[in-house]
Amino acid sequence: MMNKITVILGIALAGVAAHAAELHVAVKDHRGKNVADAVVLAVAVDPRNAQHSHPPPDAVDQVDKQFVPYVKPIFVGSTVHFPNSDNIRHQVYSFSAAKKFELPLYAGTNAPPVVFDKPGVVVLGCNIHDWMIGYIYVSETPFFAKTGPLGTVAITDMPPGEYSVRIWHPSMDRAEETTTRQINVSAEAAASAEWQIGLKPSIHVPRVSGAASASYP
Amino acid sequence: MVFCAASHTARGDWTIATSAALSHDNNVGSAQDLASVVADSNVAVSASLLQQLSIGGGFSFAAGGDLSGQVYEHLSGLNNASLDGVLFLKKKWGVGAFAPWTRAGISIGRANYDDGYRDATLYRASLEAGKRLNERWNLWAKYQFEHNRAAPAATELYGVSGDVFSLRGRTFKSGVQFSVSDRVSLGVGSILRHGDVVSTTQPGLYIFSYSKAVAPDPTFGPGAYAYRLDGTTFGARLGADYALSAHNLIGCGFQRLETHGQGSNNYGDSMSDLTWNYRF
Repeated sequence: MMNKITVILGIALAGVAAHAAELHVAVKDHRGKNVADAVVLAVAVDPRNAQHSHPPPDAVDQVDKQFVPYVKPIFVGSTVHFPNSDNIRHQVYSFSAAKKFELPLYAGTNAPPVVFDKPGVVVLGCNIHDWMIGYIYVSETPFFAKTGPLGTVAITDMPPGEYSVRIWHPSMDRAEETTTRQINVSAEAAASAEWQIGLKPSIHVPRVSGAASASYP
Repeated sequence: MVFCAASHTARGDWTIATSAALSHDNNVGSAQDLASVVADSNVAVSASLLQQLSIGGGFSFAAGGDLSGQVYEHLSGLNNASLDGVLFLKKKWGVGAFAPWTRAGISIGRANYDDGYRDATLYRASLEAGKRLNERWNLWAKYQFEHNRAAPAATELYGVSGDVFSLRGRTFKSGVQFSVSDRVSLGVGSILRHGDVVSTTQPGLYIFSYSKAVAPDPTFGPGAYAYRLDGTTFGARLGADYALSAHNLIGCGFQRLETHGQGSNNYGDSMSDLTWNYRF
């Protein structure tokens, strides 16, 4: 009996996959340069296309006193682990409205996972190493992805239909809502779109101190 | 003892940093008389190893050492090497990069010069505080007590001490750092110091009458004498840094100091430098 159900489910899922649509997105800045770490979010206009599955656990690592990856998009309700691959202790925190939390000093994989149950941007920091900064984008839609070094990304397995697609980037010079476009994706051919966004000069807390710093001379 | 106890429960963060600087000083001997003013350039290198230990509650300990050396272009007697042991206790008053912090530190070191009569044991105690206002602006202040203990010169002139290079002083520094971009930052600092100063110049009765100690200073030539006086120094520093990478920084700076020595034995001193810092 169980085998029959598995086979039926498999056929059904294969059918969905066969009719799934794809959206290819390229993000560039105003000078035409590829923009990495931009989060692309596609919200289904038809609520029946907004699949709500239980997302698998995710992770943001700490390597060489940096958050890896720098930008991590997740689906709302996801659980995120914060393993520490450095041979020192970190104290990860966030003051963001979407998720306020603080993990006490820890090493290795001892930190309890954090559930991100509210959509929005969560800025991560380490209270020991002030220059460490990372972003978790908690998406209200399951259709999202992050651009790679070439500034491109593909969102796959989308039910065909109309989507409100928008872009977010940590250095973007305007609100993400202003980037929204309506895009129709079909099973026949992958849809593609390109965004040009303005980026503010990024200012981070410096890691090394020198001639201009407090400790000099 | 606290440090040892803490190490059982926490893993420390080793910081290894190196730096090099090329500096020019237009009045190395701090002389008032223009005829005695000597300018020179030097190359300084240093390496520091620091173990930082976060112990919770916003407190962290740091213990380590600095090894540094300086080589002068002309005044080879000033070439020196020094070794310092440092211990800091830092408290961060809150969570986040913008939380204010305070730090107390002590250090003990030894500096050895080519002209050995300058050799000294260096004692420092400091209190620092800082606050980053945002990603661009960073404020800091530091109060430091210093005591350099040198072997007194054997010769005494007219009953005046020969212990010229044993110095005590208190320094207050403050500054602001501004990040122009992710790579470029600018800094402005002020310095106020009161305590012993050493002025090396040709012999003079006026400066002698205000000196607490006098000794020949052949580093600056056969007729030069070093005078230890009470003095107050005011100064300012401008600096700029460019980050080559997250670990690697080059910079330049300019510092102007004006010292008011007892009996109007005043002098000025300008220093400019090119720096390189690498933090592993």
